[in-house]
Amino acid sequence: MRSRKSRAAWLLEKEWRELLASRAWWAFLLLIGPLVGVSFIDAVRTYAEASGLNGTAAGVGEAFSPLIGVWAPTFSACELGAAFLLPFVAIRLVGGDKQSGALKLEAQHPFSAFTRTSAKALVLLAGWIIASAAPFIAIVLWKVYGGTLHPPEIASVVLGHLLNAGLVVALAAAAACVTEHPSTAAIVTLGVTVGTWILNFAAAVHGGLWERAAGYTPTAMVADFQHGLVRADVLLMASAFIAALLALAAIWMRIGVPVRRRAYESLALAVVTVIGASLCAVPAASWDLSENRANSFPRADEEALREIRRPLRIEARLAPEDPRRFDLEHRALSKLRRVLPGVQISYVSATSIGLFEQSNPHYGEITYELDGRTTVSRSTTVEGVLEAIYDLAGIAPPAPSDADIFRGHPLAAPPNGAALIFYGVWPAAVLGASLAWRKQ
Amino acid sequence: MGPATPLLRITNLTKRYGGLLALSDVSFSIGKGELLGLIGPNGSGKTTLFECLGGVLPSDGGQVLRDDGRPLAAHERRDLLFYLPDGIAPWPAQRVRWALDFAIGFFGGDHSHRQDVIERLAIAPFLDMPIGALSKGQRKRALLAIGLLTPQPILLADEPFDGLDLRQTREVAQALRDYAAQGRTMFLSIHQIADAARVCDRFVLLSGGRAVGEGTFDGRDLEEVFLALT
Repeated sequence: MRSRKSRAAWLLEKEWRELLASRAWWAFLLLIGPLVGVSFIDAVRTYAEASGLNGTAAGVGEAFSPLIGVWAPTFSACELGAAFLLPFVAIRLVGGDKQSGALKLEAQHPFSAFTRTSAKALVLLAGWIIASAAPFIAIVLWKVYGGTLHPPEIASVVLGHLLNAGLVVALAAAAACVTEHPSTAAIVTLGVTVGTWILNFAAAVHGGLWERAAGYTPTAMVADFQHGLVRADVLLMASAFIAALLALAAIWMRIGVPVRRRAYESLALAVVTVIGASLCAVPAASWDLSENRANSFPRADEEALREIRRPLRIEARLAPEDPRRFDLEHRALSKLRRVLPGVQISYVSATSIGLFEQSNPHYGEITYELDGRTTVSRSTTVEGVLEAIYDLAGIAPPAPSDADIFRGHPLAAPPNGAALIFYGVWPAAVLGASLAWRKQ
Repeated sequence: MGPATPLLRITNLTKRYGGLLALSDVSFSIGKGELLGLIGPNGSGKTTLFECLGGVLPSDGGQVLRDDGRPLAAHERRDLLFYLPDGIAPWPAQRVRWALDFAIGFFGGDHSHRQDVIERLAIAPFLDMPIGALSKGQRKRALLAIGLLTPQPILLADEPFDGLDLRQTREVAQALRDYAAQGRTMFLSIHQIADAARVCDRFVLLSGGRAVGEGTFDGRDLEEVFLALT
């Protein structure tokens, strides 16, 4: 009599039981609640004070976006958890089989190493989703306080953190399979995480290719999603890296294959990944899911800009660390790229901070070129950039409209009960569930 | 001397660890339903041989051939052989009861053998204990139960009696003999010659990474043969 359950179901059950048996996962679950709690309580309190709580002067309505004011900081606790806690859970689940000797038994099963690695990744993501109950409790509390929700922007934030968790899980799985010991795997994983921070730093200092590469680090990816921006290239790039890292884990999980062959296969995988990543960077489609259209020009301007059929070139003489360049990029040019995917934008500078280039009379100039004509401006605001482009293209600026104006959602409500839930009920529930599992 | 009904033929199996030659042109046969003992001094390459045969360690040369002389592909090897390593504690947080069900479900074993294996190996008293909490002998019996519940026609067990007392050794030996009588081939790596002599029908003697003898050694003292050849 054979088992009625499929072998895949047995594999998933085994991984799930191993996750539940892992102290690392319970510790992660225990900590994520208070971490989310700190972020949520602080964000709601600040939001309430800015909205006029306790007699403070209420801010400008347009500034009150729950996405930026509450959900970005609340979910940032998940980013912290993904960087510093989740890798240990993943390494425990993947490396545990090697340490206990279970890998020698499981490797004799006809399932491919990629299937077994993917099963572990799926279960780890399920564990991550359970841990995500903490920010979802925050969403319920926000509704109870009378706050408004715009589901697409919440979906964007959740998707960003899920992809980030997928990357961390795949990276930790690869590290656990390639290295001999879990402690080495932990060092490698954290080393890569720190490496992406260094890349972000280099991008801020040097710009250019560094800046382009830094756009795909987990930190930059999460930042986009936290602003409600879903980019096709980022989605594809993250998916490609997750698949590549899981494939690397699978290559090194096959203990019966010579090391030299696994090394060659890893090299081939690296080449394929680089080619794949280059292709993933090509699509320019993106979706602004934020309620306040934080990543888009007003609709009328977008329609007017789409009338420009010829190639537009923009050259900005601003150093990477010049705050004006940050303004220009984030307030105007990133939105322009979404409307005109073919726009060619380049930054020119002799130094990284620009402080010593101020004597150059051309420093700070932004040159627009369209169809052989050029215009120069120094404005880094949305209005200034649009005016220069309309002027150059000979397009009449659209009449200002109130239709796109985001009125904001001020909420002067204190975070009542949140501390009790995140600092008391959550840890007690996690401890209770852990004890119940161990007694089972 | 080879088996009456050969199932597999291992030819010139070689394994190197850097400059160390762990297995050198090892050749022998495995017969259907036999209790084959792999004996040899410590460090002779017994575990390496099993790991290479089980596919958990890559070999540097040699072939595993079917009875018709055709080389055995990797996926066919998984269908024919199951290797039970020594000194492992798989899924340490899981209870023995679940591990047995997992072995049946995941590796495609037959559930109707479950109770018989539990009784033959006397593991009922610790079925609800986590594997990581078992004593050495209990863990060995739990692992043997996992191995016996797998469906492959050849079971490679590394040191199946290690950690067992005399009574347990006899009970386990009898169980292995009975399963072999039902047609399953047992290939056992045993470093205690007395245990090997008590259980096995035929032997492969390994010394310094070489197969220095293969046969039944009928009528001769196995210990003397062992000392003479190693």
